[in-house]
Amino acid sequence: MFHRSRYRTAVVAAGVLALALGACGSGGGSSNGQDLSGNRVGAMSSYNVGDQFKATEALSFSMLYNNHPNYPLKNDWLFWSELTKRTNVSIQQVAVPLSDYNQKRSVLVSAGDAPFIIPKTYHPDENAFISSGAILPVSDYIDLMPNFKDKMTKWNMKPEIDTLRAADGKFYLLPGMHERPWQDYSLAIRTDIMDQLKLSVPKTWDELYTVLKAMKTAYPTVYPLSDRFSKPTPGGNLFNILGSSYGAPGGWGYNHATWDADAKKYFYTGAGEKYKAWVTYLNKLVTEGLLDPESFTQDDDAARQKLANGKSFVISTNAQTLVNDYRPDLAKTIPAAKMVKIPLPIGPAGEVNPSSRLENGIMISKKARESKNFVAMMQFIDWLWYSDAGQEFAKLGIEGVTNKKDSSGKPVLADDVNVVGLHPNASKHLQKDFGFYNGVFAYGGKPELVQAFFSPEEQAYQAVVGVRKPAPWVTPPPAPFTDEEREQAALWETGLKDYVFQQTLKFILGQRPLSEWDAYVKELESKNMTKYMDLVNKAYDRYKQANG
Amino acid sequence: MVTIDSGLKDLRAARPRRIRLSKGYRVFQVVNGIVLTAVVVLTLYPFINIVARSFSEEAYIIAGKVNLVPRGFDLRAYRLVLNDELFWTSYRNTVVYTFVSTLIAITLTTCFAYVLAKKHLKGRNALIGIAVFTLVFQPGLIPNYVLVTSLGLKNTIWAVALPNAINVFNLLVMKTFFENLPVELEEAAAVDGLNTYGILLRIVLPLSKAVIATMVLFYAVTFWNSWFGAFLYMDRLDLFPVTVYLRNLLAGATGADFMGSAPGDVVQSAATIQAVTIVLTVVPILAVYPFVQRFFVTGVLLGAVKG
Repeated sequence: MFHRSRYRTAVVAAGVLALALGACGSGGGSSNGQDLSGNRVGAMSSYNVGDQFKATEALSFSMLYNNHPNYPLKNDWLFWSELTKRTNVSIQQVAVPLSDYNQKRSVLVSAGDAPFIIPKTYHPDENAFISSGAILPVSDYIDLMPNFKDKMTKWNMKPEIDTLRAADGKFYLLPGMHERPWQDYSLAIRTDIMDQLKLSVPKTWDELYTVLKAMKTAYPTVYPLSDRFSKPTPGGNLFNILGSSYGAPGGWGYNHATWDADAKKYFYTGAGEKYKAWVTYLNKLVTEGLLDPESFTQDDDAARQKLANGKSFVISTNAQTLVNDYRPDLAKTIPAAKMVKIPLPIGPAGEVNPSSRLENGIMISKKARESKNFVAMMQFIDWLWYSDAGQEFAKLGIEGVTNKKDSSGKPVLADDVNVVGLHPNASKHLQKDFGFYNGVFAYGGKPELVQAFFSPEEQAYQAVVGVRKPAPWVTPPPAPFTDEEREQAALWETGLKDYVFQQTLKFILGQRPLSEWDAYVKELESKNMTKYMDLVNKAYDRYKQANG
Repeated sequence: MVTIDSGLKDLRAARPRRIRLSKGYRVFQVVNGIVLTAVVVLTLYPFINIVARSFSEEAYIIAGKVNLVPRGFDLRAYRLVLNDELFWTSYRNTVVYTFVSTLIAITLTTCFAYVLAKKHLKGRNALIGIAVFTLVFQPGLIPNYVLVTSLGLKNTIWAVALPNAINVFNLLVMKTFFENLPVELEEAAAVDGLNTYGILLRIVLPLSKAVIATMVLFYAVTFWNSWFGAFLYMDRLDLFPVTVYLRNLLAGATGADFMGSAPGDVVQSAATIQAVTIVLTVVPILAVYPFVQRFFVTGVLLGAVKG
């Protein structure tokens, strides 16, 4: 992990250097005006919400393609031919293995060799490329994208999108958008054990403690909770969902500065009282033998093996791992076992949904702006990724081939097509054979679309968790850094994050007593925590003054 | 019969004396044997485990029951991987890339090393200096990428074969080897009327089989295992070597980086499929080793120790 991040830093550094040199040569002549008269070739003169985009002449755009090992790219997919038929556009893919997508993206953007369309980019990855000027401030061009604008206003996405803005007030990533936040990750519990011990499904983390305690009493040799998703980030999921319910997410969701909506200010996450509260909770679980201390070092397979062999009863899950991993594993080892994903337990932060409504997004290469087909390209992107028709096409495919209308007129998967195990005996696969429901093109959208392939069980889960109100810290007020600030912050962040993660584990595992918490906060201060927070607050004030 | 028996008796009688002479050595041998056996076990175990996994049923792997022997013998994973067109395309690419790259590399390295071994060559130290310089100072990733791209090598085999054609370490080993060949042989050949190329082709190379075989092995293994160059310079699936295919399969297996993405996006390739792909990728290059083994030790030692 360290090696990789160091490498990435090196890549980015080299890229910045290369671009700095390049920029000197070209003199940065192009003004960023809105004069698009020379870029309208192939574009529709009138294109609005509800219109089918079709280029007036055959066009082709280059695009970075994240190749998924489960459905390797095929050029004869129905997706490609139908897309061209409908839009008159063909996509030239630059295929990159999923395993190293981010690295190749860095190299291509830094070397000035990036394709026009760069999808599958997770905020804040795009920040690394802003200062070099290699990617387009897309916020300047959303007038070309009626569907994007429509969804942004209709779904009230402005607060979320504001979190993407850079110090210049622009955003550089076209994000995927969910109408409602979708919380997938939670815990899975062996309900047969709970029935046997006459326990009910825990609604809060405190109730979970009681359940774990009862399990431990009945099975003293077992660690009731032995977790997975700890590589490369220890406690990746657990620290995230638990921390979220305390208002200070850790693990995957760790941000250095977290917004405190009550106090109306940012605090340093790893030093806050909320963070300490959940660390204390986990420390209690470990001390009482309820949580396997190996949870934070073992790989996923080890955790799965413990669960499959009845050495643990509770584990992190999402809808897929429950169906693909735990249930099949248990069916072979402990056939009587029953496993259920429980609604995300509630903590001191109340009934909140800690998921963001933003998805990964698309960067546009600056070169594309010079293309005579630029307007057509933006219209094309708008149709495919943001229109209802485009989203439905990318996910569900074509009516009569991959989907059919059910009695209520809602499109459902055709009988002879399989995806996510819905029709296990079908001869064809929606992703592998047709190229639909492709992670590059299909994400977000209306709840009906997001939940199109959900099992009844998962829909029931969403009915409980989906109605919780969005957590306030998910859409904090913008506090964007300038380029220099970001560079400075990045230097401090590495040291701080390593230290916070390392000490978090020590506190949880009891290797360091919680009475030393204040000393730990002092140590963070010596690692520039205070200066870092000054930087965040400065950026917050600056943005507030400039934008009201 | 009698004589043989008595001969054996003599031998037996003679034995203890020799052992007494080498008691310390015997202790060393025992310890050595134990340590080396442990090393063998340590290196072989993961390997055999992967092979066992590849023949096992998924459930046994998940339950952690597969160690050295396959459990629930199952060939479905092999059938699945062997029926995957993309796997074979990648495999063919690997074979072609390895063959061509090794051929180019060994030719260039031999020629360069032979020239450098000639002490009377003018500017020899400068040439060595240039080679060693690249060993110490490596160009960055981006300049390399820009260079390869602007030479028009992207999406061709040359992007993989040319940038790594001369490995400086191999070059120095070969140079040392050539320096140690008796000068008299070459002088005699020259007297007999051979020119420089004749000497190289007909006298030096036939005497250098050991080092060349070793270098071929070094290069072939490196090219077979390499993935980064192809990953960087290739934009199409049908150009990737099998290592990239394998890496995508394995590295994608932990979906942590992709949380929050569409559910179908979380990668779950079965443990057996991974094992099968690993086995199929490793076996060919492994099969080459025994045949080159006999050159191997002499080749490297000749270069290194005498130099």
